[in-house]
Amino acid sequence: MSQERLTNQDETVSSGENSADPTSEPLVDSAIEVPGKNATSTGRTILRAQSFDVYYDDVQALQDVNIEIPEKQVTAMIGPSGCGKSTFLRSINRMNDLIDAARIEGELYFDSKDVYDEDVDPVALRRKIGMVFQHPNPFPKSIFDNVAYGLRVQDMDVDEQQVVEESLKKAALWDEVKDQLDKSALDLSGGQQQRLCIARAIAVDPEVILMDEPASALDPIATSKIEDLIDDLAEDYTVVIVTHNMQQAARISDKTAVFLTGGELVEFDDTEKIFENPEHQRVEDYITGKFG
Amino acid sequence: MAAETPSWAQQAGQVSRLRGRAFEAICLASTSLALVSVMVLLLFVANDAFRPFEAEPALTFAIPVLPGLELFVVPVVLPAYLLVFGATLGLPVALTALYYYRRDDPAGEVAYATLGLPIVSLLVSAGVLVMFIEVLTVSELFATELALLVAVGAIYGHARLRPRKAVERLAIIIVAPVVALAGLPPAMFNDIVNGIAGLAGVGPVLTTRLFSVRELVLASPFLPVRWVMLLATVTLPVVAIFAPILARRRESREAGLALGGLSMIVAALGLVAAPALGVGSDVWIVVASVTVPPLAVYVEGVVRRREGMAGLAFPLVLIGGALAGWLLVQQVGFGMPDPWLDWGFLTNAHSRFSAEKTGIYPPLVGSVMMLFAIVILIFPVGVGAAIYLEEYAPSQGLAGKFVTLIEINIGNLAGVPSVVYGLLGLALFIRFLSMPVGAIIVGALAVGLLILPIVIISAQEAIRAVPDSHREASYGMGATRWQTIRDVVLPQAFPGILTGTILALGRAIGETAPLLMIGMPAIVRRAPDGFFATGSAMPRQIFRWSKEFDPLYRHGVLAAGVVTLLVVLLIMNGTAIILRNKFQREETA
Repeated sequence: MSQERLTNQDETVSSGENSADPTSEPLVDSAIEVPGKNATSTGRTILRAQSFDVYYDDVQALQDVNIEIPEKQVTAMIGPSGCGKSTFLRSINRMNDLIDAARIEGELYFDSKDVYDEDVDPVALRRKIGMVFQHPNPFPKSIFDNVAYGLRVQDMDVDEQQVVEESLKKAALWDEVKDQLDKSALDLSGGQQQRLCIARAIAVDPEVILMDEPASALDPIATSKIEDLIDDLAEDYTVVIVTHNMQQAARISDKTAVFLTGGELVEFDDTEKIFENPEHQRVEDYITGKFG
Repeated sequence: MAAETPSWAQQAGQVSRLRGRAFEAICLASTSLALVSVMVLLLFVANDAFRPFEAEPALTFAIPVLPGLELFVVPVVLPAYLLVFGATLGLPVALTALYYYRRDDPAGEVAYATLGLPIVSLLVSAGVLVMFIEVLTVSELFATELALLVAVGAIYGHARLRPRKAVERLAIIIVAPVVALAGLPPAMFNDIVNGIAGLAGVGPVLTTRLFSVRELVLASPFLPVRWVMLLATVTLPVVAIFAPILARRRESREAGLALGGLSMIVAALGLVAAPALGVGSDVWIVVASVTVPPLAVYVEGVVRRREGMAGLAFPLVLIGGALAGWLLVQQVGFGMPDPWLDWGFLTNAHSRFSAEKTGIYPPLVGSVMMLFAIVILIFPVGVGAAIYLEEYAPSQGLAGKFVTLIEINIGNLAGVPSVVYGLLGLALFIRFLSMPVGAIIVGALAVGLLILPIVIISAQEAIRAVPDSHREASYGMGATRWQTIRDVVLPQAFPGILTGTILALGRAIGETAPLLMIGMPAIVRRAPDGFFATGSAMPRQIFRWSKEFDPLYRHGVLAAGVVTLLVVLLIMNGTAIILRNKFQREETA
């Protein structure tokens, strides 16, 4: 299995101290201005897109996206349906590679490495950038096997028992399932399943967790649990979350990116600023519900 | 309070429902026509095969269709034994079935499975026994299994000791089975080289070779006695499959060990009990090993779930009823019918002189061997192709168009007449590759190619049914494509693949035209003793009987053959249905 590991994993996921590359300089502004709970974190840029375009066949889904996502904070992406926010999210860990029709242009840096460089193995990239999907999608396996799946496929040399327990605790699910780890994950409720998916994603200790509308298929109580969880996760991980729910974005995120129709990133700033005093009229219209 | 019906509640005057009703009636008529014609055919054949109404004494009476008109009178013959069996077997069975249907739905399913499982197990054990009688000796199987065990042990041992050496492991995976089963170099290779050397006028070049584990075991003077080998080769593998299932379900090693021990003891009991019953101890050991573990696991599951336990009584009702009826008939002295399809029919070969003594044994064995060969040859190829087409093949651009073209053509191949595959078999395998005419393996290849597209298509459907979200989840956690296929896609698609394959095999067992084309003989007096031996198959033999001059062959024997074929088919389809239901339940649970 070792040959499946990429050639240059280390480069891709280097610890990020390469300040020699000017493009990876931290975003000074964001480090100062970010309010709220994570204000103490460095705000170092971990993901940076530059003139980033995505096409599906001939249709342009994203145009000229420039964004710098800070480390260990929650960045929300909002916008109307079909505006390309999910496309952008799935471009970050190259899930769009699975769609043959997708084609990208421009650069997207994780740490200081363009993830679309030819020497980047998407499998290695996804080991550092985990993902949680819109609909809870646990495997039809036991709860334990679900969480341990990532450890097994990555051939990680760790104590499975311990990592599974820690991940489930981090995902606030341990107390509910500790006596039934052997049961099928499909027996859990929708909210529990989604937390299981989060536990599964953090078990392999990624740096970034991408969430594609993680609460949109859940009821309000389950949603609020997920939101609390995202809050906690931001202490250890960078969270990028796509959501349709603007209140949710306002509640949980430190920074917000607004995509509008045509795959255009119209505004990206501190969440507070976006919701209280956006620069663009279109963004204000969208947020106040005049459009979209 | 007779409120007047408001006008909106009436049928709207301007909309006629007549056409809808007519359409419904036509659909109903076609369904009934299809069902009735198949039923009539089956009953007709079954009547010929079993002759249930030809036994003395019998009640005879005439039912007048039109009173007063002698011409329209239907004579009815009702043998006495039928009445007895109706009372002891038919009525109780019908009543229990009705009870399950009305009161206890899960019990019906349990009844179906507890009845079906032993039947399938018995058939499998019959297959194993026939294999020992006709194809392999027990010691050969013992040596082969031991050698395989050594090879698997070597592979696992290496993986344990040197886990990161992928190239080494690949070499071991290739070399170990060869050394274990065939030796290095394989005996055939030596023969070929020496043969060429002999032609060139040189003596044998390769005189030494590393003997395979299999050969060493066979040559060993310390081979265990036959029954120990039987227990080791037949009972142990079955136990090794089912004991862990039980252990996992009950979450206790003891349960698994208990099942294993119990099965071994029951099988070994054959040494004492079988001679007393007048069967060979081999028969007992094989039947017990194949029947006891799966049945025990199933019954345990039913008892543990406490759902449908009443269904477990169904086989008892059936067997008890049959036994009681038989004893009663014997006691009173009623005559029993003389069915064409009896034990003798299943164990004899075709006889030119007596329809009564004719049997279907050699073609039955031939058919089963063909099926076995087809599964071994076609299953990996079909599933592999389906995995490639669904998981790897490009879907965009020129290559994608090409893949689409291939898929369409696989669909077309599924519709190619079987005669054409027979021609392919004749031209390719017999003429070009010089394989023996009418050999089991040639039949298996021709019919296998015929069902290959069906296997591919059904496997594709099963793989496609695995939700993409599961693939994405797997990729999202850093799994490679191969890991995703192995750990996520295949486990979920497997039941569907299995069902599709079994249904395709059902088609394979009934194919006749390719067998005619590749020159399968109509009449074989001995069962084939290997895959390269000449053999026949059931449909081929049935076709032959249809052309016999003696009407006894054309009616009785032919019908018995058809029923045998249909029963094998029915059992295969039933297995497919049980498997599908079982796995579907596990998915949704």
